[in-house]
Amino acid sequence: MLLRHLRKIRIIVSLLIFGFLLLFFMNVHGRIIDPVAEFLLRLQFFPSVLRFSAIAFAVSSLGFLLILLLTFLFGRVYCSSICPLGTLQDIFIALARRFKPKKKRRFVYTSNRKFILRYSILAATLLFWFFGSLFLLNLLDPYSNFGKISVTLFQPLFTQGVNGLSGLLERLDLFFITPLLKQSLPGDVVAVSVGILGVIMTLSIWRGRLFCNSLCPVGSVLGLVSTRSLYRVAFREAACTLCGKCEKVCKAECIDSKKKTVDMSRCVSCFNCFDSCSNNGLYYENAFSGKKKAITLNTTDNLRNEKRTFLLTLAGGMMSIPLLKKLAKAQVEPGKAGMVPTGTGLPVTPPGSMSHDHFTGKCIACYLCVGACPTNVIIPSFFDYGLEGFMQPKLDYHKSFCNFDCTRCTEVCPTGAITRLDRDTKHITQIGIAKFMYESCVVTVDGTDCGACSEHCPTKAVTMVPYNGLWLPEVEPELCIGCGACEFACPTEPYKAIYVESNALHKQALPLSDDHGPRDHDKDEFPF
Amino acid sequence: MDRRDFLRKSVLYGAVAGLGASALGTFTPALAGLRPHITKGNFDLVAVRGSNLVAMFDRAMQEMGGMSQWVKPGQTVVVKPNIGWDVVPDRAANTNPDLVGAVVRHCLQAGASRVTVFDHTCDNWQRSYENSGIEKAARDAGARVVPGNFERNYRDISIPGAVRLTEAKVHEQILDNDVFINVPVLKHHSSTRVTIAMKNLMGIVWDRRYWHRNDLNQCIADFCLFRKPDLNIVDAMLVMTQNGPRGTSTADLVRKNSLMVSSDIVAIDAASALIFGEEPANVGHLAIAEELNIGSLDLSKLNIQRVYM
Repeated sequence: MLLRHLRKIRIIVSLLIFGFLLLFFMNVHGRIIDPVAEFLLRLQFFPSVLRFSAIAFAVSSLGFLLILLLTFLFGRVYCSSICPLGTLQDIFIALARRFKPKKKRRFVYTSNRKFILRYSILAATLLFWFFGSLFLLNLLDPYSNFGKISVTLFQPLFTQGVNGLSGLLERLDLFFITPLLKQSLPGDVVAVSVGILGVIMTLSIWRGRLFCNSLCPVGSVLGLVSTRSLYRVAFREAACTLCGKCEKVCKAECIDSKKKTVDMSRCVSCFNCFDSCSNNGLYYENAFSGKKKAITLNTTDNLRNEKRTFLLTLAGGMMSIPLLKKLAKAQVEPGKAGMVPTGTGLPVTPPGSMSHDHFTGKCIACYLCVGACPTNVIIPSFFDYGLEGFMQPKLDYHKSFCNFDCTRCTEVCPTGAITRLDRDTKHITQIGIAKFMYESCVVTVDGTDCGACSEHCPTKAVTMVPYNGLWLPEVEPELCIGCGACEFACPTEPYKAIYVESNALHKQALPLSDDHGPRDHDKDEFPF
Repeated sequence: MDRRDFLRKSVLYGAVAGLGASALGTFTPALAGLRPHITKGNFDLVAVRGSNLVAMFDRAMQEMGGMSQWVKPGQTVVVKPNIGWDVVPDRAANTNPDLVGAVVRHCLQAGASRVTVFDHTCDNWQRSYENSGIEKAARDAGARVVPGNFERNYRDISIPGAVRLTEAKVHEQILDNDVFINVPVLKHHSSTRVTIAMKNLMGIVWDRRYWHRNDLNQCIADFCLFRKPDLNIVDAMLVMTQNGPRGTSTADLVRKNSLMVSSDIVAIDAASALIFGEEPANVGHLAIAEELNIGSLDLSKLNIQRVYM
């Protein structure tokens, strides 16, 4: 019977999806991986919602509607198959089962009442969002957390592994494995990722999909839909022998085998129960089949309670959030001129992100751009954007700079926080402006030539002008695009003598001179 | 000189050079800089003017007496082009890939057991290797292309007699191969005025910032006290005369249609500077190089072969 195979199908599908996304986040690319992973990114719920709000009504931003429809038809299939963090939890659950004593392997039904908290969290998340801060969403969204964990923890391990292997082979004079450039990730961000992974791991090993049914905002939204879904898990009264096996394998802890009820708001459609029942005592009931008895726990009371809490929290939160926002804003005011040596103002946002407001309002902090950036110039921030943009990525010119011809981050961003730029548009997109610090420069302080800044400048916004028999940098702001090549190349310490000041609103730089080709040389003899 | 004469001469010069090299034995890199000024080949410098870079290089090596003057059968060779930037060959910010391919082929034909190509790039290394066309050209010609942007491939060395750059980390390929061939492209440079053969050696060390911070021109000259390339080949076909060293468009280029080959790194830089339109003595690191006796800027004393094709 098909129902009994559903679990196996779900496991295969979810592992495939997890694998594709993990490889994509590890920056492993290929002709099959790329299109599949890009399609899977479109199906991620909140990234798709954010994309919808950024690039409204584009086909690429309608994934969330598909997920809602899927949930309305078959329950929270997203949670069991499409969500990469869901599969990661399943992997933990499966691994833990191998080490747990038999008695502790089973799950036990828990009352729905305990989960009123769940909707308060969703309400708070949406409230923050409504008032312009993705703080809670970026902390709780499952896709975002999968990304954070992949890029800040798995990817460095992957890099280390590849480089270790290529290093060994190099000693044998073999160079066919290309080493990878190492990320320099801030410790605080890595610590948060470790914390998130720790929480996810603990919750899943302890209580199955508890995260999905308490903290996860996608789980909560889809939980509201799945209580009304067309097909739902239900008991076949006559076939059920009250053996309780289904309850023991239910990692959502939503089956009450004694009362023969299933709490569909928490069911993640993993189909473990179908597989566990030797009597076919459970089935996928069609809501319109007519024989709708008190078999599925429709939890009307509980739901009413939840909705009430949800609305109350929404209303209550309205009062306090603007205050929070104000407090957060105060932290990101740029430093006064001359008071700080360099570069402690606003962080630089990736090209294509249009403005700080657009970027911080749309970025879900999944770090796909961080992992995909070939020069590793995009790194996660901590509180650089204030509470509002907690952990969202920024460009850091201390370890690298933005490659002139590269548009990779604009291609991968699933939320539309970084909008797509073609190469020519990127060439004139001004994300910041270089500022020269006369009093810190090698040329003025040591009296020797340097020019590393101008050397690296792709637009020649930084040129060298005569200065006491030497050459001194000069910035033409109109030509500068803020790529940070000058800041990166500048050799002065501890503060750079040239640095990029962020544009809160991205602007347009002057275009480069036309590529009208080389001039011909007039002399034919060698000058020596 | 007819063909027979040429062949006789090249065999003779080759034998002399070979004997000379074996008599002196193998140099340790640290001593290489201190060895007396030996110019291999029929001429101190060969300059070729023409329209086909690869044919020009073939001709230049023919005039010099062949690559076998520098590469003996079984020796390993490292070729260091300029692959600094993520730009296409038309922009001439990197060495012409066809020239790199030709150099590799000449080395293999001379019996090199292995030719390695690398550069410590300024832009992202993989993009630069790929978009410069050099990775493909070198591989197609039979070389292996290795990364230069990882610190683990660099080893500490010291430079006796250096004024500012007394220590550096040098890429292992430079230290471990028998023959070192430098293949720069002639370009304008924002602070050293020109970048040619000496400046190209910044791509074989790990910490370039140190050079910039500690008198750039002095450091460029100092490094030649450690190791001079055995052979220098300067690509001066399309010469970036402004907005160097990266350039902003093809409008920065002038067709100078030239190629130079020499064992003398200072002489070839002086000749190239003149082609660029800069007085060699006005180029900071060239003036210092002459002072440090690394080479001479006086081209009148050299045996130069000029070829117009």
